[in-house]
Amino acid sequence: MAGFIFWRLARTFLAIWALASGVFLLSRHDLDTALRLSLPDAASQAGSGAALLPENQQAAQQALRRRFGLDLPVFYVSRGPASPAGVRPWHWHGGRNQYHQWLRGLAHGDWGTSFRTGQGVAGSLRHALAFTLPLTGTAAVLAVLSALALAQRLATAPWWQRPMRAVLVAVHGLPLFVVALVLLLVFANPDVLDWLPTYGLGSPNELNPSTSQQLADGFLHLILPVSALVITAVPELTLQLTAALQQELGTAYATTARAKGLSAAAVVRHHALRNALLPTLAQIAEFLPALVAGAVVVEVVFALPGMGRLLAEASAARDYPVLIGGVLLTGAVRLLALLLADLCYLWADPRIRWQS
Amino acid sequence: MLVPKKNPSGVLLWLIFSSLLACSCSSKGSSHEAIRIRWVHDPETINPMALTNQAAIEVNNLLHLSLIQANLTNHQYVPALAAALPEVRLVGDSLMHITYELRPVAAWDDGRPILGSDVAFTVKLMFCPGLPNEVVRNQYHFIKAVITDPATPRRFTIVCRGQAPEYVKATGDFCILPAATLDPAGRLSRFTLAELQHRAPTAPADTALQALARQYQQGYAGHPPGQLPGCGPYELVTWEKDRFLHLRRKSHWWADQLHPAPLMLRAKPQQLEYVIIPDVATAILALRRGELDVFPQMPAREFERLRTAPATRAALQFYTTDSYNVVTAGFNTSRPVLADAATRRALSRCFDAGRLMKATQLGAGQRTVGFISPSDTANYNRALALIPFDPIQAAALLRQGGWRRAAAPTAGWFRPGPAGTSQQLRLTMRYRAGDPLLTTIALQFQAATAPLDIPVSLLPTEAGSFSEVLRVGDFDMYAQVLKGNPFMFNFTPFLHSKGIGVGNFTRFTTPASDRLIEAIATASSNASRQRLLRQFQALMQQEMPMVPLFFLPSRTVADKRLSGLNVGSLKPGYLATTIVRAARATPAP
Repeated sequence: MAGFIFWRLARTFLAIWALASGVFLLSRHDLDTALRLSLPDAASQAGSGAALLPENQQAAQQALRRRFGLDLPVFYVSRGPASPAGVRPWHWHGGRNQYHQWLRGLAHGDWGTSFRTGQGVAGSLRHALAFTLPLTGTAAVLAVLSALALAQRLATAPWWQRPMRAVLVAVHGLPLFVVALVLLLVFANPDVLDWLPTYGLGSPNELNPSTSQQLADGFLHLILPVSALVITAVPELTLQLTAALQQELGTAYATTARAKGLSAAAVVRHHALRNALLPTLAQIAEFLPALVAGAVVVEVVFALPGMGRLLAEASAARDYPVLIGGVLLTGAVRLLALLLADLCYLWADPRIRWQS
Repeated sequence: MLVPKKNPSGVLLWLIFSSLLACSCSSKGSSHEAIRIRWVHDPETINPMALTNQAAIEVNNLLHLSLIQANLTNHQYVPALAAALPEVRLVGDSLMHITYELRPVAAWDDGRPILGSDVAFTVKLMFCPGLPNEVVRNQYHFIKAVITDPATPRRFTIVCRGQAPEYVKATGDFCILPAATLDPAGRLSRFTLAELQHRAPTAPADTALQALARQYQQGYAGHPPGQLPGCGPYELVTWEKDRFLHLRRKSHWWADQLHPAPLMLRAKPQQLEYVIIPDVATAILALRRGELDVFPQMPAREFERLRTAPATRAALQFYTTDSYNVVTAGFNTSRPVLADAATRRALSRCFDAGRLMKATQLGAGQRTVGFISPSDTANYNRALALIPFDPIQAAALLRQGGWRRAAAPTAGWFRPGPAGTSQQLRLTMRYRAGDPLLTTIALQFQAATAPLDIPVSLLPTEAGSFSEVLRVGDFDMYAQVLKGNPFMFNFTPFLHSKGIGVGNFTRFTTPASDRLIEAIATASSNASRQRLLRQFQALMQQEMPMVPLFFLPSRTVADKRLSGLNVGSLKPGYLATTIVRAARATPAP
């Protein structure tokens, strides 16, 4: 088992490195756009000071290039300009290239500097994760627990099974932004139910709020965003698990259990559930990258900070250091989640363990 | 009221939920002392050397002060740190001396007076290596020296290379920073401005400058609350990225000694809280629930809906002003089919600016003949006629441009091209994807040209890619909003031949227009500039590299309990420092 885990980890590490390197090298082809977007817009004379004339804009772009080390060659080798004979010779740059500097920085925990804010990428990601993980983590736990409870009930074919399935299918078809806006317009609207706050995580300038008040305030602010995430995640999990449970309940061992006099709920809980969980484990593994990648729609609608907004804004502004950091992080979590799912499969189904 | 009776856990949950709701209801409304203002985006940085967006400029104007400031209400520059507007002296034909004198009461928070040496230090910081000053360094490259006089330390002269009216405003419009706080060791004083300006980028790093840059960067990177040095009326309390930025009024601010205090040097709110709410629907609900006080730049439909609904009309106050943002459509004049002015003028007749204004701004805004706002009565060319929506005239102008309309099956407009080729008038129009204003303009143009047999393909383009395709010229036409102000009349970035491949997306250039743009930028008097600007508007209407459609209005909505909110056409469209929240009425015993 240890060997298996070691080799899987090694492969995962290699895949993460290849992914990040690919994104890094691809991003170097669009650096001019990235640098231009970090300068004032030529179509805007909004700022103070003299107009940034074209020649000055180019000089500023060149200076930015130098500040971020983008004037170095991209990789260890590059092809020079064509000689009079038409040959383009290869040049070796040693460690003085962007890729090497980036890898070295990464090894020392330096994930680079944002083109726009000038702040460290690692710090920005840490700050965003501090808001994202509680939001997405709570939503994921609640969604999984709700789906487990609901699927177990639905599998026993109660009278409300059909209408509930219809509701779940309908909700499953709704985009997240619709669910989030409906919740907002129903529960934070003076014209309907003026119950919950609309945005943020609580106000910063309450007069010396106690910890309990702050917690209650934060809890209230998280009700709608978490609900939106849970409502959109539960149908998929529930429908899948219900189908898997119903299939298991039709097998011979489930019939035997019922023949022994066990209640339908007990058959589900003690016999069918573990076997039906395998596809759900894969679904939950899919959730894990979303835990760190954030939920950009919910973050925008409820004005919450987090990874989703950070990465979406970095993407729009071509802030490649932040974007590469985000890809590295979510990519790593995705690959680790797949590894985790494989390990969970081994735990859940002894047949897989024996075969491997 | 329904209360679960049998299940104890249900009762507990119900109690928790009820108490939280009660807490929610009690915290709602204007229990805050701070005036809460909506921002769409985070400032990203508050470093005065690297201001990237409007929010950053706005917060810097509260933390710091410049020598002169634009007055929101009358659009004139007025003294801020300076005691009066500067004295300007032209020296020969290549130098300009701009002399300022600082207010005697102007002082830093520690009581030290603000002196000319602080201004000289700030200018040197703009050129100090190791700082993120790439933009300001290139904006203020025209400053040759700052001459201070130990005998009159509040008086100083900024020497400019070249002579241009915009230098007067530019030299007074940057945040002044304290030399003694940011550079207590006086490292920068060992260098002259010329040495810093002419320092080669590849020069070996100077340890003193490196230490200064590191110290400066650390101060702004960590943005410790209350520790950012500035002579503005507010200090930073908290800045949570993508959440809020909280400012507190300084208890002792130097301008409190001015009686009467000029409008731009008043600071009434004790606390200002800028909250970042990207979504319009969320921000409107927050405004209605009393979780937000000021909503600037509200979209037209939402503004109108709130203004006409009885409940919100009673609770909110509504302001509309003109802005200096003009909606334009541009032509790629390097494309053979759009190279001649007649074709461009013909196509300009296919934009129905009046109806577009009605459709997108519900009738608000101002039609215009050019890039100068009609509000700027001194410079606006009223002799020119507005560009009409007239497809028949468009067809006639196309014929003047050598185009001939072919009947079906090859319906369209054709004209002979070079070397026996044939050109067909077929266009692609790009605009920023997801922008309803620009989408409406593109759709209206497409609908107007369809009966004329001019095929127009619409290409909504992602924001980042949009700027790149404009720069490389991968378009026939584009729609865009140009953001301006009433002070800068330098059209070089987007209409001069120097700007081709940088900001002149139309690639329009003629020797006459280049000369006129240069003459406007260096005009020595208001009268001559007015004359040149009118000529320029006439030339642009003749050549039509861009079609100016209309100037957008600026709409602000605020809680009715606020008073003293001054709105204006200058960005950000309101003056936060004069807002007062009326005391809440105490219930009668």
